Amino acid sequence: MTGGQELKVLKGLDCHIKEGEMVAIMGSSGSGKSTMLNILGLLDSFDEGEYLLAGNSMDRLTENSAAKYRSKFLGFVFQSFNLINFKSAQENVALPLYYQGVPRKERNKIALEYLKKVGLLDWADHLPNQLSGGQKQRVAIARALVAKPKVILADEPTGALDSKTSEEVMKLLREINSEGITMVIVTHESDIAELCDRTIHLRDGQIVD
Amino acid sequence: MFNRDTWLEIAHTVLSHPLRTALTGISIALGVFILVVMQGLGFGLQNGVKAQFADDAVNSVWVKAGTTQLAYKGNQANRRIIMRQNDVDALYNEMDTIYASTRRIRMWGISMEYGKKAGSFPIRGVDPDHQELENTKLISGRYISEHDVEVGTKVAVLGQTIIDELYNGEDPVGTQILMNGILFTVVGAFNDPASRWENNMAYTPYSTAKKLFRSGRDQVDQIILGTGDMPIPATMTLTDRLQSWFKDRKSVHPEDQRGIWFDNNNEEYKRYQDIFVGIELFIWGLGFLTLLAGAVGVANILAIAVKERTKEIGVRKALGASSMSVVGLVVQEALSLMIVSGSLGLVIGVGILEIVSPMIDHEYFKNPQVDFRIALIALGVLVVVGVASGIGPALRAVRIKPVEALRDE
Repeated sequence: MTGGQELKVLKGLDCHIKEGEMVAIMGSSGSGKSTMLNILGLLDSFDEGEYLLAGNSMDRLTENSAAKYRSKFLGFVFQSFNLINFKSAQENVALPLYYQGVPRKERNKIALEYLKKVGLLDWADHLPNQLSGGQKQRVAIARALVAKPKVILADEPTGALDSKTSEEVMKLLREINSEGITMVIVTHESDIAELCDRTIHLRDGQIVD
Repeated sequence: MFNRDTWLEIAHTVLSHPLRTALTGISIALGVFILVVMQGLGFGLQNGVKAQFADDAVNSVWVKAGTTQLAYKGNQANRRIIMRQNDVDALYNEMDTIYASTRRIRMWGISMEYGKKAGSFPIRGVDPDHQELENTKLISGRYISEHDVEVGTKVAVLGQTIIDELYNGEDPVGTQILMNGILFTVVGAFNDPASRWENNMAYTPYSTAKKLFRSGRDQVDQIILGTGDMPIPATMTLTDRLQSWFKDRKSVHPEDQRGIWFDNNNEEYKRYQDIFVGIELFIWGLGFLTLLAGAVGVANILAIAVKERTKEIGVRKALGASSMSVVGLVVQEALSLMIVSGSLGLVIGVGILEIVSPMIDHEYFKNPQVDFRIALIALGVLVVVGVASGIGPALRAVRIKPVEALRDE
């Protein structure tokens, strides 16, 4: 995307993800799946084509409007959790609400509700390094949910977890999806993809079936 | 922008790196502390020297006769030089313009009696211009007049100390006081807080003092010449010219430093003022440099902090943080670090000066205090420097792309 050489990572992608769907994006490394997720998540810009999010064009957004859309529509779950390590579980979960201007008391109350939902109410005051990998990912999921997004984008959410914990996390994501939140999961593990409604296979930046 | 949450955020990030925060804070506090203390010391020096000069008119030249150091024209060294009335007349004659002038003689231990009280005080015999040249501030009555000197009236102007000791709160003007058994009429009273020494004095007309207390002996102790609005270089030329002329007249070696004294207050005052300008520039320069060093330190540490927090800032952006809030985070962090530790340095510096100030009262050193204005300027500079040092790192933080920050290694 940067540098003098033009590099086309994604070519001729045409897909539609319906509201409430749970979709897996699969592909080997270098297939463009992370790029696609970044574009879907408004973390990266695109040069050509069109991207409609809930009916709005996402073409040539400014930094600030991208931030606004992100906080309104999107929740993120990362492979390496990306929790802020000097904030407690509760504070981490409350952070998106802080950027939406929700008052402190209310924000902390909501954060507790979501920690309860992911089964970590008793760990609310713990710092990330006092939690196991699975617990960290559940805090990250609570954080992604707290702003009531329409879509959750998960980049290898089970990539750093053992298979038992992976299963639990997938179960949790499934539950969330059943409440009507669209779920896009990037993975390279086929048994994870099998737990989704539909799988989009990417190879060399193109969709293959 | 400055709500409770923002402050909690800042407190959180700042306190999560206690060592780093403490080191930066100390360097800033130390910078401000040094600035404040140096300012205080500079002021003390200035106040002290100003108080020295407040006593006398600045634009004056003081002439005194002393004892020669060098043999000259057949005279041995260690000869006592005596200024006579004809010397004074000749000296006045040598000057093109005389703005003000007075002779003066002093007698010690004159016994003074008023009512039932008595004491021993010195007396000066002076000309009317002495009031201006000694900077005497009358609190009631009048000073010695031309007529008093011409006629040799027995009048006196009393200093505050004499009044305190003999008059019991009564206004001395119009009363009669005995000086060495001679009846004087008190015509004026003065108080010179800048010079407690002069307050011991009673001023009488030169002619009266000479006749009654010196048995008419022809010897002038001292002459003070006013130089009016003459520019300083001109007063220096004048002083040099008069000095060599006078030395020649009294057969004193031109190189003799002790036979005839000429003190040009102008010159001295100018010299001190030049020193003050120098000291002030030096102090400000030093202060700004220390603050600058502090600011560079803060900018440096923030740059490191931003680099370390690349991932965190990326996460914040992914979670909906706007560019402004990221800039705010960094700049406000710099600002609060600067202001908190700067104020600490300010308070400690001012506090130490407040404690030390009453203990120091040297001739040339008085009231080493920092005025409020300087404190405000220092704080203002801190704010500007704080924002400035935060801006670079903040812009760097804004340029962080969440996608690059979040990429797994």
